[in-house]
Amino acid sequence: MTDPRPWLVALAALPALVIAASVLRLDVERLRRLAVAGAAAMLLTSLVVAGSAHLRAFAIRTSALTLTPGGEAIIRVDPLSSVLLPLAAGLWLLTVAVTPRAALDRGGLRRTALATLVTTASFLTESALVLLLLSIASVWTFLSAIADPAHRYQRRIVAAYLGASTLIFAVGVGLIIGPAAQGTTLEAAGLWLIVIAALMRKGIVPFHAWVPEVFDHGRLGPAILFSAPQLGAYMTVVLIVPRASPGMLRLIAILALVTAVYGAALALVQTSARRACGYLFMSQSALVMAGLDCTSVTALAGGLLVWLSAGLAFAGLARSVLVLEARRGRLDLTTYHGGYERTPVLAISFLTMGLACTGFPGTLGFVGQELLVNGAVDAFPVMGFAVVAASALTGLAVLRMYFSLFCGRSDRLTHSGLRFELTRREAWTFVALVIALVGFGVAPRPLVDSRFIASDDILRQRRLRAGGGNRIADLPRDIHDHQSTADLQSAVLSSARAPRTDQDP
Amino acid sequence: MSLAWLVLVAVGSPAVLFVILGAGSLVTRPMSERWTGTLAAGSMIVACGALTSALVVFGASGTGARLLSYGEWSTSHDGGIAIEFLVDRLSLGFAALSAAIAGIVAAFSNRYLHRESGYNRYFVLLAMFVTGMLLVAIAGNVEVLFIGWELVGLSSALLVAFFHERPSPVSSAIRVFSVYRISDAAMLAAAVMLRHVAGTDSLSLLFGGGRVASTIALGGTNATIIAILIIVAVAGKSALLPFSSWLPRAMEGPTPSSAVYYGSLSIHAGCFLLLRSAPLLEHAPAARLLAGALGAATAVFAAVTTRVQADVKSSLAYASLTQVGIIIVEIAIGWYRIAFLHLAGHACFRLLQFLSAPNVLHDLHGMENAIGDRPSSADGYLQPLMAYSMRRDLFLFSLERGFLESVIDRVVVDPFVRLARRLTRLDAWLCGAVLSLPTWTVEADEDRDD
Repeated sequence: MTDPRPWLVALAALPALVIAASVLRLDVERLRRLAVAGAAAMLLTSLVVAGSAHLRAFAIRTSALTLTPGGEAIIRVDPLSSVLLPLAAGLWLLTVAVTPRAALDRGGLRRTALATLVTTASFLTESALVLLLLSIASVWTFLSAIADPAHRYQRRIVAAYLGASTLIFAVGVGLIIGPAAQGTTLEAAGLWLIVIAALMRKGIVPFHAWVPEVFDHGRLGPAILFSAPQLGAYMTVVLIVPRASPGMLRLIAILALVTAVYGAALALVQTSARRACGYLFMSQSALVMAGLDCTSVTALAGGLLVWLSAGLAFAGLARSVLVLEARRGRLDLTTYHGGYERTPVLAISFLTMGLACTGFPGTLGFVGQELLVNGAVDAFPVMGFAVVAASALTGLAVLRMYFSLFCGRSDRLTHSGLRFELTRREAWTFVALVIALVGFGVAPRPLVDSRFIASDDILRQRRLRAGGGNRIADLPRDIHDHQSTADLQSAVLSSARAPRTDQDP
Repeated sequence: MSLAWLVLVAVGSPAVLFVILGAGSLVTRPMSERWTGTLAAGSMIVACGALTSALVVFGASGTGARLLSYGEWSTSHDGGIAIEFLVDRLSLGFAALSAAIAGIVAAFSNRYLHRESGYNRYFVLLAMFVTGMLLVAIAGNVEVLFIGWELVGLSSALLVAFFHERPSPVSSAIRVFSVYRISDAAMLAAAVMLRHVAGTDSLSLLFGGGRVASTIALGGTNATIIAILIIVAVAGKSALLPFSSWLPRAMEGPTPSSAVYYGSLSIHAGCFLLLRSAPLLEHAPAARLLAGALGAATAVFAAVTTRVQADVKSSLAYASLTQVGIIIVEIAIGWYRIAFLHLAGHACFRLLQFLSAPNVLHDLHGMENAIGDRPSSADGYLQPLMAYSMRRDLFLFSLERGFLESVIDRVVVDPFVRLARRLTRLDAWLCGAVLSLPTWTVEADEDRDD
C-alpha cells in the first residue's frame, strides 16, 4: 500500500476511538485496555509510516491558510515528521500502560488520547496557523488535566507562562504570514516573537522558571505528556530555522547551552525527585534546541536524534518516578529509599533511561550527543564544551537519583507490608522502552541516516528561503514533481549524498 | 584468523557476555550460578586467547602500529562514529594482560560470591568493565576510547555500591562517580579540542609519534592544553592528587572487584592512557612537568598515608597509589619501557595481594607459627629523625588522608551546592513573582497527587 492517506487516517482514528469510547462512558478498566491496545496499534502504524520510503513523502498543500505565495503544506509526511509520529504514539502507550490506576480515570484517558491526537497533528503540519491552533489545543488539554482546585498553583503557572507563550506565538504568526511580510521588519519582528514563544514553551533561560515548578507541584503525569514530545522544538524546526538569521540562531543556541548546563547543575542538588526531573527535562530539552539552532547538517541531525532519545528516555524516567510515588508517596532525594531487590526491573530501567538522557555509550542518546558535538565543534566549539559539562552533570544527577530511590536501605526493613512489585504491564512497558533505547543505541544507523536526510532537507529549505524562494514550492523540480512517491525519498537521498558544504552559506 | 578478526573476537567476547547476563537481569530471569560462572570464565579465556594470538600474529608480521578499521558504525554520513582499533605491542600487551587478570578474578569471584544476592549483577558489571578496559587499551579514535572509559567508570561506581542495602557504599559510590565524571569531562573536552584544532578524532595523532603530530601542527599551546586535559582525566581515573580521596571509599565493594579495579587494572588505566599519549607529552613540556609533579606528590602522599590505614584494603589501595605515582613519574621522565614493565608487574603483584587480603590474618598466623615469632617490622626507621610534634602532625595528616575530602568539600562542593540551591530558590521566587503570589503560601496548602 503506497498511499499514505489510509495510514494517516488510522493514526488519527485510533486516539479518536478512545475519545469516543470515553464519551460513551465505557468501563474505566476496559477503556484503559482499549487505550493500551489503541496506543500499541498506533505505534505499529507509525513505525510502518516511518519505515516505508513510499509513505513518508506526502503533502497536501493549500493557500487558504496563508497569504504567502505558493501556500503551505497543512498535512505532510516527510523524513522529519515520520520519525516523530512513533515518538507521539510511544509516549501515549507509555502513559496509558504505566500510569497508576488511581491517577488515570475516564477523563484522564480521554485527555491522553486528545493530547496524542494534537501532538500527532502538530507533527504532520508545517502551517504556522494550524500549528498555532494546535498549540492552543495542547495548552487547553494540559489546563483541563489540572482543572481540580487542588492544583490551583500549577494551573496558574501553566496559564501564565504557556498562555503568554501562546499569545506571543499568535501575534508572531500573524506578523509572518502576511503577503508583504517576507523580508521586511514585520517578518523579523514576528520571528522574534515566535522565538520568544518557543523559548518559553521549552523552558529555556530566562523563561525557564515554570518548568521545575510545574513538575514539582500538582500533577506530574500531564506535565510529562505535555513536555516530552517537545512541540516547542517542532515550532523551532518548522518556523524558525528556515527563516532565522545566523545571528538569531546563534543567540538561541547560546541560551540553550546555558540552559543545558544550568538545568543539569540544578538537577544535581534537588531534594525532590519531581523537581530534579523538571531540571533534567530543562537540560535535555535545551540540548535539542542547541542542536536545532546550529546550521551544520551533522549537529542538526544530532539535535533531531537527541529529541527522540531525550523524549523517550526522559518520559520513561519521569514515569518511573510516578510509578514509585504510587507505591511510596512523595520521593525525597535527601534519604535512601531502598527497594532494588523488590523492583529490579524498575531500577534497571530507571538507570538505563537516565543513562540514555546523559548520552551514555550503548544508548541512543550517546550517538545523538556525539553528532551534536562533532557537528558543532568546528563552527561553535563552545557547544562541545557545554554539552560535555551538561552530560557530566546530568550523569551525576541521574546516578544520585538512582541510588537515592533504589538503594541504601535493606528491603527487609522497609515497605514490608506493601505491595511493591510492578504489574506485568508496567514491567513489560519499561523493558520494551529500555530495549528500544539500547537497541537503537547499538544499531543506530538507519535512524541516524534518516535524521541526516531530515536535517539536510531542513537546511535546504533554509537556503532556498535565504535565496528568496518559498520552501517546497521552490525545491528542485525533480523533487517537487514526485511528492507522493518514493522518488522524493530517493531524490532527497541522492542530494544528501552529493558533495556539500557542512556549513550554512 | 586475521589480526582484525582476532581483535574483534577479543572485544566481542565480554561484550556478548554483558548482553546475555544483562538481558537476564532485565527480565528478572538471571542465569544460574553454574552457567554464569562457566560463561564468564569461557568469555575471558576466549578474550585472552584471542589477544595473545593477536600479539603473536602482530609480532610475526614485524610491522609498526596498525589502525584496524571496521567502518562507520553510527551513520554513513560525515560526523559519525567509526569503529577503529589502534594495535601495537603496547596496546595488545595491555589488553592481553587485562583479559588474563579479569579471567583470574572471574574464577576467584565465582567462589567468593557464591550465593550472594548480587551474584549475577556482579558478573554483568565485570563483563561491562572488561569490555571497557579492552576498548581503552586498543581504541583507535576518541569515541571508542570514550566508550571504554565510560564503561569502566560506571561499572566501577556500581560495584562500589554492590552492597547497596547499606547507605555507606552508596554514598561512597556517588563520591567515586563524581570524580570519574570530572575525568570523563576532561577526556571529552580533550577530544573536542583535538577535533577543533586538528579536525580529526583519530588517536594515532596523539599516540602515533612526534612525526605525525608535527605534520598537522598540533604543537605549542594547543598540544599543552590537550595534554593537560588528558592529565586531568588520568588524575581522576588513577586517583592522583588532588583526586585521591575517592580511593579508600572505593574499597566498599567486594574484594575481587577491589582487586581488579583498584589493585590492578582500572587504577592503571590512567597510567596506560598517559603512556599512550607519550608522543603528545613530548610536544608539551609544561604538561609533562605537571604530570611528573603530580605523580611524585601522589607517590609521597600515598606512601605516608598507607602506613596508618586501619584496614588492609585501604592500606593496599594507598600502596597501589604509591606505585601508580611512581609509574606516572617514569612516564614523565620518558622511561616508557620501564613504566610499562612496572605497570604490568605491579598489576599482577597487587592483584595477588588484594585477592589474598581476606586471608591476611590467617596467613600471618601461619607465618608466625612457621618462624616461631612475630615477623619484624621495618617501620619506624625514620622516627628518630623527626620531632614528636612533627610525627604527631604527620600521623594525623595521614590518618585523615590529607584532609583532601574535607578540603574539596569546603572549596568545591559546598559553594556549588549553596549556589545551586540559591538559584533553585530564585527560580521558585521568579515563578511566584510572575503570578504575583508568594510561593511559600501556595506550597503550604497545595496538594501533590498523581
